[in-house]
Amino acid sequence: MSPLVLTLPVALLAGAWLAAWIDRLAPALWGGRAAGPLAPLRDGAALLARPNATTEAPDRLTRWLAPGTYLVLAAAGLSVVPLAPGVAAVDSPVGIVVWGACEALTVVAVFLHGWSPNSPFPLIGAYRYTAIGLPVMLPSMFVLIAAALPAESLSLIAVVEAQREVWNLVRQPIGLPLFLIVGLTLTLRGPFDFADGADIAGGTSAEESGPGRALWQLARLTMLTAFSAMAATAFLGGPLGPGLPAPMWLALKTVAVMLLTILACHALARTVPSRMLHLLWVAALPLSFLHLALAGWVAL
Amino acid sequence: MTLTIVLVFAAALFGIGLYGAMSQQSFVMLMMGLELMLNSALLAMIGFWSLGLAGAPEGQLLAIIVMAVMAVEMAVGFALVVAVYRKRQADMTESIGTLKE
Amino acid sequence: MTLVSIIALGLFAVWTGWRVFVVDSMVRASFSLMLSFLCTGGIALILHADYLGAATVFMMAVEMMVMAIFMVMFMMNPAGLNPMKMVHQERLSILMGALAFGVFVGAVLRSDLPDAPVAADRPATFDLGTELLGPSMLIFETAGVTLLAAMVAAVVLSSRTGRYGEADAGARPPGLTEGGDPAGRQPEEGGHHHHHH
Repeated sequence: MSPLVLTLPVALLAGAWLAAWIDRLAPALWGGRAAGPLAPLRDGAALLARPNATTEAPDRLTRWLAPGTYLVLAAAGLSVVPLAPGVAAVDSPVGIVVWGACEALTVVAVFLHGWSPNSPFPLIGAYRYTAIGLPVMLPSMFVLIAAALPAESLSLIAVVEAQREVWNLVRQPIGLPLFLIVGLTLTLRGPFDFADGADIAGGTSAEESGPGRALWQLARLTMLTAFSAMAATAFLGGPLGPGLPAPMWLALKTVAVMLLTILACHALARTVPSRMLHLLWVAALPLSFLHLALAGWVAL
Repeated sequence: MTLTIVLVFAAALFGIGLYGAMSQQSFVMLMMGLELMLNSALLAMIGFWSLGLAGAPEGQLLAIIVMAVMAVEMAVGFALVVAVYRKRQADMTESIGTLKE
Repeated sequence: MTLVSIIALGLFAVWTGWRVFVVDSMVRASFSLMLSFLCTGGIALILHADYLGAATVFMMAVEMMVMAIFMVMFMMNPAGLNPMKMVHQERLSILMGALAFGVFVGAVLRSDLPDAPVAADRPATFDLGTELLGPSMLIFETAGVTLLAAMVAAVVLSSRTGRYGEADAGARPPGLTEGGDPAGRQPEEGGHHHHHH
């Protein structure tokens, strides 16, 4: 652990603000009104001023533990991402497995968030999300292992080093789309928003209001930032690039992936959970397995 | 010294797991006891690898095998729980008593 | 410093392990077990077993999530809103647990434990990889086939189209009251129904 850990909260908050603003720009796609950069701050402040809703006999410990855990996991995921070639906040030799652990614990955090208010719609949202979120871990791991194969190491610093000649996006083209699926699931967005969907009255956030809701939305946005940084590192070469200083390249690529994710979130429709499960197990998982087999064959 | 402490913790986890596996009436809680026992085996193996074997890779291999055993036990165990519930509506160990006497 | 953190994590692991069987809320029980496993993963990370620690955290998060779902499916008091204690042969179990603990601690204290700590800069993950795919390839492949067999077994045991007909043919959901009728429409066929609660 180096002093770079202190830059994590700043990076996460800045990323969350940027992601919230891009979210509010998206209505321009279908003829709505785009909002300015201060709109997320206004909405956040308004949320903080509202009263906190309470339910009957909630599980108080997990009510606050769930969004807090979600935030900590975003920070932990971002901490293994290299900010410059050879420099990361936490130099872990198994960075990819650490990110996988963060993904798995995210499913737990969302489940607890839906469990804690002791209310039916949040529980339904939590259950639907778990049914989708756990299978999504599998393509995620296959895709990340395929990205690690050219580096012959699980450390993200080595993965970045192995992309000096050619990015992983070029030699493993279906890796990034599959990883985008994982990102949409982790941040409860778009076609994978089974936890907080509008069709179950807001799902796990149905009973949230005021500061609790603000915290949960902030946690989702920080996880989007961490995921974008991870995708940029594994597929777009992370901090590598000529000219600009390395952290700036990482920031540019992170913003690019963030734009892509938010575009996918607003452009793709959500289907029923059973059909999505079918798609995941029958299409996404074998595809990611083939992708890994191909990457392994190339590496050998 | 550190190895002794790690092994004492592993022994404590094993004792609690054994208590749970023997005393709980519900199938799922019983499986939690089994998981705790495997947890203690995993902890003991990691302790031995790190502090007693000077990092010989066979130690890590045995820890991986323990994790595989955990996964297999949970998968087949829960499948059995579901099958028993479907057949006999039994969710407690006291309820399947057809072999009694 | 390392010893202090190992002791702290170990104590927390044992405490959360004990809480599993004491709390009333079933979801809290499974996540308490998860915390116990996370402490084991943490101890592994401190002891330079990086891959094992991270993989333990990863696997146990998913396993305990599945366990929480089964808890809510199969236990009648998942939220712990009423106190509940479902144990049998409790005294014997406590005795056996304490006996196991005593025997193991006695064995640990009496025996001559080796003292060969791993070098901090040893590439543990690389060693594990070359070991798995080199000298211990047979064990690795056997574990893989065993996992496949477990997957097939789990699907076969719990599939709804059973071997001799529908898996829940003749099944009757639990009653609304003790020994009473289940909610909803009753099935037309009569016959022997065992239902326990």
